[in-house]
Amino acid sequence: MLDLIASFISSGLGVNLLYTMIVIPSVLALLVLLMPKAKVSFRNLLFLLALLLNAALSLGLLKLDDMKLYLPWAGGEMGINFALRVYNFSQQIIVIAAFVALLVGLFALSYLRKKSYSSAFLFYYLITVALVNGSLLANNLVVMLFFWEALLAVLFGMLILENRNDTRAAVKALVLNGIADLLLMLGIIITCSLAGTPLMSEMRPIPLEGVAVLGFICMMLGALGKAGAMPFHSWIPDAAKDAPLPFMAIMPGALEKLLGTYLMVRTCFDFYQLAPGSSMSTLIMVIGAVTLVLGGAMALIQKEMKKLLSFHAISQVGYIVLAVGTALPVGYVGALFHMVNNALFKSSLFLSAGAIESRTGTTDLREISGLGRFMPLTAISTILCALSIAGMPPFNGFFSKELIFDAALETGMVFYIAALVGAFMTAASFLKLCHAAFFGPVKLPEGINREELKDAPGAMLLPMLALAGTCLLFGVYNKLPLSYIQALFGSFTAGSDFSGWPHSMTLVLISLAVLLVAVLNHLIGYHVTGQGVKAVDHIHYAPGLRTLYDAAEKHYFDPYRIFMAVVRLYSWICLAIDRGISWIYDVLFVNIVGFVSSVLHVFNNGSTRLYMAWAFSGVIFLILLSMLLR
Amino acid sequence: MVEPGILIMCILVPLLGSFLLPLLGRISAATRNVAALVFVLFSLVASGLMLPGVINGSPMRFYMDLPLGLSIGFLADGLAVFMAMTASLVAAIIVFYSFGYMEHYDNQNEYYLMVVLFIGAMMGLVYSTNLIFIYMFWEISAICCWRLIGFYRTEQVVLRANKAFLITVGGALLMLVGFIAIYIQTGTFDLLELQGRGLDGWILILILFGILSKSATLPLHSWLPDAGVAPSPVTSLLHAAVLVKIGVYVFARLFLLNFQLEVAWQTTIPIIAAVSALVSAGAAIVENDIKRVIAYSTISQLAFILLGLSCGNMIGAAGGLMYILMHSLAKAGLFLCAGIVEHSTHTKDIREMGGLAQRLPITAVAFALCAFSVAGIPPFGGFFAKYLVIAGAYETGYPWLAGVFIIGAVMTVIYLMRVFVKVFFGELTHPDLKEGSWEMIVAVALLGILSLVIGIFINVPSGLINLIVDSIGRW
Repeated sequence: MLDLIASFISSGLGVNLLYTMIVIPSVLALLVLLMPKAKVSFRNLLFLLALLLNAALSLGLLKLDDMKLYLPWAGGEMGINFALRVYNFSQQIIVIAAFVALLVGLFALSYLRKKSYSSAFLFYYLITVALVNGSLLANNLVVMLFFWEALLAVLFGMLILENRNDTRAAVKALVLNGIADLLLMLGIIITCSLAGTPLMSEMRPIPLEGVAVLGFICMMLGALGKAGAMPFHSWIPDAAKDAPLPFMAIMPGALEKLLGTYLMVRTCFDFYQLAPGSSMSTLIMVIGAVTLVLGGAMALIQKEMKKLLSFHAISQVGYIVLAVGTALPVGYVGALFHMVNNALFKSSLFLSAGAIESRTGTTDLREISGLGRFMPLTAISTILCALSIAGMPPFNGFFSKELIFDAALETGMVFYIAALVGAFMTAASFLKLCHAAFFGPVKLPEGINREELKDAPGAMLLPMLALAGTCLLFGVYNKLPLSYIQALFGSFTAGSDFSGWPHSMTLVLISLAVLLVAVLNHLIGYHVTGQGVKAVDHIHYAPGLRTLYDAAEKHYFDPYRIFMAVVRLYSWICLAIDRGISWIYDVLFVNIVGFVSSVLHVFNNGSTRLYMAWAFSGVIFLILLSMLLR
Repeated sequence: MVEPGILIMCILVPLLGSFLLPLLGRISAATRNVAALVFVLFSLVASGLMLPGVINGSPMRFYMDLPLGLSIGFLADGLAVFMAMTASLVAAIIVFYSFGYMEHYDNQNEYYLMVVLFIGAMMGLVYSTNLIFIYMFWEISAICCWRLIGFYRTEQVVLRANKAFLITVGGALLMLVGFIAIYIQTGTFDLLELQGRGLDGWILILILFGILSKSATLPLHSWLPDAGVAPSPVTSLLHAAVLVKIGVYVFARLFLLNFQLEVAWQTTIPIIAAVSALVSAGAAIVENDIKRVIAYSTISQLAFILLGLSCGNMIGAAGGLMYILMHSLAKAGLFLCAGIVEHSTHTKDIREMGGLAQRLPITAVAFALCAFSVAGIPPFGGFFAKYLVIAGAYETGYPWLAGVFIIGAVMTVIYLMRVFVKVFFGELTHPDLKEGSWEMIVAVALLGILSLVIGIFINVPSGLINLIVDSIGRW
């Protein structure tokens, strides 16, 4: 079957079909949107068909060697040609994206059953898939930007679906991502100009000096913005409040991370020469370390499951950024492996939140507990993913984190410690989450009947468990993903094998010790407060930290808030300038004209004597003038 | 003389036809309305018919000597046809929208007369190759704009119309002095004879006064936000199709295709543009009158066009031209949507609006499509224009210039989304609203869809734009 698809695509006709990966989801998206309300099941079928086709085509692409498609688009001087290319890097990410999209899509159909906006959501969802494929297949940086930035409109659309009265989160997401995308635009302009071509396959790594530094920084900021790293992160927790959970699972949970990491790695490895130990490398690592520690610290104190998960969506990016920033082979491999793993467990965890929400109507951990006996499969899936994200062997998260720890330690002790602190906070917050939600005495929100509470429906459980199972598979048999990932870097990673059990036993022991500390911390917290959900309150309300946390919860440190305050101040100044200019026209000019005419009016009052005087002085003036000129 | 007939007709049909409209209006309003639309569409079709000549490299031309060494000349080259098609397409949609919007107002005869005359003047200006005729059509447009802004005739409205008239005519008179100086130096007003010459700095400054006042660039911009008192289709016409585009079009005509721009001006004009873009974008963020916000947005976006055209390289020029097209479509759509909102809520203050998407769903979607295009977000057409203009700015060798316009682009996103969200989302303020008339809905939907479709099929406009840019010999 796969060979059939591959041979079809690689046939003469098929080269032109590279863009079917973009066209098919878009066209089916339109059909889904326009489908009449009465044909819901047909619409859902069409939606699934689109995702299945997408997954099948992505597997077909996997069988291909490097292949390019080149169509003149806005060609000529502008150099914007519709160039697509499929090669091993894009192939792998497309496959991961297609499978996560298929599973989350299946979940979404069940989740959206009673929502009025389901058609619009499914439409945006398929368009997102098309745009992600386009971004990953593009071989022209401008074309990549076209697909990449188009996600803004879809993101905004998905965020205003649920709560139409409060659109602040949607605007915030649009502005923060818009800034990142516009910086990326500048980065792409600089990169294309330096490389002399917009075609990515023709580019050779540019040394980081002069204006290239600016180009590199802009490209990286664009990638970081998409991935949701600091300072572009703060929309994610806000969006979590109201956005449909399948959105959280697919966008901040998976696809945006895939895109961001893809561009980060390509920027550091393919477009620019990022050297280990250089100042740029350190800068990126600092961004990564700050993101992972602060994101983790905020996640630690959350008592709302969606918010907790969204802070972890930020924190995990920190690991990826830190690893890419090392510019070491082990760092790149670790970053890409963690990217894949994060897409799996983070989307599954958001789906778990969706399952709990659809059954109990809330994801607030203070209102629910002991759900494990009613929703055992949801509990199992969540716990498997929690173990993965916490980095417990033999789950996938353990292996990718060990690679990142290795890379961090090689670059600097401080980065390694930051990574360990992040690991502690991740483990502690997921201990809290799982304990509070699934264990302990049964507690349900008002109106939810104990007898009627069942586990999530199969269409929800299947994707969750499939993702969780893959987490385990990619841990136990990590050679499967790692051999593909390592192959991407060719000779750069030759001579080392990153799969199998980590090489350094010392690092493993330290990581396990950190996990043990997290468990002890949880037990102490539980012992003191008697409630799983309050197990980290002793950290939250510790002297000093409490003030900081309060300020953070009030958004005092939110870069968006600070940015908008500056923008507002600036705007008032601009308005004052504008009103000032208007005043010159409306008042000053009018008054000057009025004054001049009133003065002239005095000399034109109809008196004969005055006019005689005028005429007389005129004659004298002329005589004087002629005498002077002579 | 048969061949250029279509070129002459393209100008004369709306120019002279407009004077028939009041007569037709006495017979029936419907006849007059249809005739107005037909005259504008005629220009569109005629311009389209001249496209093959452009592509073959044999553009249609009309030339006649006049006494006193003067002459009259029209040329349908790529730039002219591009601008004429853009303007007449958008104008036709606006005229169609007016059928619904203007239905209940007095003085409709004068309204349609002025609108069609306006477009006729635009056609004349676009195809003229003679500086004196450019000036003449320029002033006809100023008169039309004066009557149309002052359409409601209340005292404040008339004051605002006078302001617009005085500022633009003041600029135009300075420009005329510049034109006369060119004549004194060279003995001709004919642009084709002036090709490739340099210009003295002081003449350039005089001409810039005309261009910047018409294209509402800081500090000559202040009439444009005030002109929002006009009926919405008129503001749309001023901002999108004709008036403000005259300035940038003449800039392109004179300084891309004819006169050599000194290198110093290739940074000075972008700096003027940068200040204009940033200050007006800032004002748009805190303004509360929906039409003023969009007007400041026009000032800001015009600066992007001016930047692209003045930065002295092919990418920037192509971007500037593409920007003219994309901005025309999208900005017309925004104003027409604002018109629907204003028409049904009877207010322009966005603080008094909210949740209107529930009652005006199509308007809301059209507004969103157009806003995304103006903000330069793909897959809408504005993306390519913005990318090319900023790439052109970078190519001047001043990366900070590109950076400044990136800031301008960020602010564009902020102010447009602020308006969109405040008007169409949040608590519903006007529960008993209805969508505008079907003509109005069709017009805004068409503009929104065009903004999207042109973005995806960017190869269509870019083919023509590449032709124009290639015809600029010196790069």
